Amino acid sequence: MSFSRAVAFLWVATLRNRVRRQVQRLRQPKYLVGAMVGGMYVYSIFLRRLSFPGPQEGPPPMTQGVSQFLLILAMLGTILSAWALGPDRPALRFTETEVQQLFPAPVSRRGLLHYKLTRGLLGALVGAFFATLFMSRVVSPNPVLFFLGTTVTLATVNLHVMGASFVRTRLAQRGGVGVAVRWALIVAALALFAAAALSVLREHGFSPELLANPRNLQALMVLLLDTPALWPGKALVALPLARDAGAFLRALPLGLGLLAIHYVWVMKTAVPFEEAALVRAEERARLRERMSRQGGRPTPIRVRASFFRLASTGRPEVALVWKNLIAGRRLGSAGRLLAAGLVGGLIATVASGRGEDVMTHLRLIMAPLCGGLAFILCLFGPSAVRMDLRMDLPRLEQLRSLPLTGRQVVAAELAAPALLLGVTQVGLIVVAMVLSMGLGESRGPAWWVAGGLCALWVLPSVTLVGLFVQNAAVVLFPAWLPPEGERVRGLEALGQRLLTLVGTLVVLLVGLLPASLLAALVGFGLEHFLGLGVWTLPFAGLAAATVLVAEVALGVVGLGRVFDRLDVSSEGPETSGY
Amino acid sequence: MQTAQPEVRVTAPVLEVEGLEKVYGDVKAVRGLSFQVAPGEVLGLVGPNGAGKTSTLRCLGGILPPSSGRVAVAGHDMVGAPVEAKRALAFLPDEPRLFEYLTVWEHLNFVARLYGVEGWEERARALLDEMELAGKEKSLPGELSRGMKQKLSIACGFLHSPRLILLDEPLTGLDPLGIRRMKASLRQRAEAGTVLVLSSHLLPLVEELCHRILVIAGGRAVALGTLSDIRAQLSGPEGEGASLEELFIRITSAEARLEREAP
Repeated sequence: MSFSRAVAFLWVATLRNRVRRQVQRLRQPKYLVGAMVGGMYVYSIFLRRLSFPGPQEGPPPMTQGVSQFLLILAMLGTILSAWALGPDRPALRFTETEVQQLFPAPVSRRGLLHYKLTRGLLGALVGAFFATLFMSRVVSPNPVLFFLGTTVTLATVNLHVMGASFVRTRLAQRGGVGVAVRWALIVAALALFAAAALSVLREHGFSPELLANPRNLQALMVLLLDTPALWPGKALVALPLARDAGAFLRALPLGLGLLAIHYVWVMKTAVPFEEAALVRAEERARLRERMSRQGGRPTPIRVRASFFRLASTGRPEVALVWKNLIAGRRLGSAGRLLAAGLVGGLIATVASGRGEDVMTHLRLIMAPLCGGLAFILCLFGPSAVRMDLRMDLPRLEQLRSLPLTGRQVVAAELAAPALLLGVTQVGLIVVAMVLSMGLGESRGPAWWVAGGLCALWVLPSVTLVGLFVQNAAVVLFPAWLPPEGERVRGLEALGQRLLTLVGTLVVLLVGLLPASLLAALVGFGLEHFLGLGVWTLPFAGLAAATVLVAEVALGVVGLGRVFDRLDVSSEGPETSGY
Repeated sequence: MQTAQPEVRVTAPVLEVEGLEKVYGDVKAVRGLSFQVAPGEVLGLVGPNGAGKTSTLRCLGGILPPSSGRVAVAGHDMVGAPVEAKRALAFLPDEPRLFEYLTVWEHLNFVARLYGVEGWEERARALLDEMELAGKEKSLPGELSRGMKQKLSIACGFLHSPRLILLDEPLTGLDPLGIRRMKASLRQRAEAGTVLVLSSHLLPLVEELCHRILVIAGGRAVALGTLSDIRAQLSGPEGEGASLEELFIRITSAEARLEREAP
């Protein structure tokens, strides 16, 4: 079997097996439903956009002009960076498997180069497909022509990047002279662009109003596009931006000619690339290994002190809370973001205040900022702070081996993020209360204190419910949730994620309903019978919080039972050999 | 080759398995396993790839719920009283699963609290010395080699002095010196009365350490007993003097042939 036939076989078999595996998964209802929802989402968001009202209509000339200008800049930028940035070595990336399988195989360097060029062409096809999905509506009246033209353009740019890396390697081998030649070429190209831009500005005249008027800007762009400096860029994007079949056919010889010239250039300038490819494959392997050692994190973990000393006796599930709090301290970045927000608020306060107004400014800015942050933590905290079952999902097997009941595991896993978020929210609310009391508004301090006390109960409880819903999804549908740091692909995975998101929102709202009803009843009763006025708020809030905590407590009992019965071999992300 | 095998006092079994079955969809991974292991006994679990060894160990460790059958550890039923049963055992997987954000010492602290080990610091220090991890207390798993991680995982498993230790390929990643120390350590624990159930493809290790051997193929127990018992099971002159490796190949090949011939 020739190399080309072997490669074709490899790609066809890979594609066939992937499709077959995904189709087989669709036998399971959870994947079928996910695929249907994912398919509908993709259709409604992307594919439906491709249908245009008619061939006559297209994007307005202004939009097309801007798109053309931006596309040209993007292409020229890519080409220029291929010459200016990165190391002087062949830009051929082989995976470790490719290095292991293909390099020792009886395949010529030319064969390997053709293999990578073909892969590049396939990559251009995929890139063009996504560009068509996202951009064609605003750029071109004909998505099919845009797709074909973008494929040729991306393939040409890909070849240029490869050819540039070969030439750079050759120039670098000549030492300082080679480097000087390369930079002279880059500086000449930049000077050409700068001269073109200056000549246009000189011709059009520059004034501050120029930038304010879109028509003037459009005129500037048209003039700039007509300068010879941008002709190579225009030639590159002529195919994707063709307005009709006639224009496309007229631009086709130039587009294909550029592609052919680049192919010949790459084949003529090719340098030995095996060593560089091997180095790159090893670099990637090392990076992957380091990330895997650090739980998918590219930066090293810094050891910081734990929140409290863990005694060896007492309730065993506290060990899980301790462990997760340490994880939050060493891995979490949400705390740093929050601190940055508060420091930013403080700086803004100091910068905007003058003399004795500083305290007033501090109250005016920081009180709503703290209150707002406490509220925002209710909405986004449960999704952002994940040192619970979501973090431990890849270790379900390990959790199952611990001498703990399911209820203990679920409660302990929930406790760490709930504690961190709850304490933060309480702190923020107290600060907001203290600062707001001196604001001298018409509502008076009683309103702020009562409102603050209500928020003290309610906000951490709502956060707890949010965390519970997120963790419940892990226990009830572990196969639907990808573990931390793992990418799950496919239409069905997209659909599953959408369903999980909608499901958690619905459950959260349903869970809040009884608490809201009871809070309303308590508030109405206290106001009606005792006339407590604004002081009904803390009691209504306490009633709502009690209901929410009770709901979570019941949920933990139920979820614990499910956890005890959970068969990690069939449901969890870990499926093993026998 | 014949290896002298240690004798075991027969008392109430620490591990009792009756009719254990595990089914994944249409695949029966474990089919009706029944055996008991007495204190101080080392049971070797051997079988070809996909025979059902890991599934068996996971069911014994309470990680996977058995599809049917019963597992009891130190008299506690794994379904009826899972917490008590798990408190009496340690499961050491072939691939050490550590928390990347906990240091070596914190791993031991975590385990000490889970199992309520009083005076754990002294025991932990002794274990770190035994595992040659002394001085690495403040290291994160990311800073440890594969072998060191394996040793830490083993130290965590030994900390609460379990009555049953389940080991899945325990010597993976260890250097020759580490292997020798680990064998001595396992032998020492068995002599102290701990039950070891050891799954390994390293047949000389199994032959050297285990009192009894359970050969699994296709999820079924195809042989159970001491090496001499298994030799005796193979009637005829070919059984005499055969090493475990030879016996293993004969038993599993015969089993595979039977499975192929089955309608």
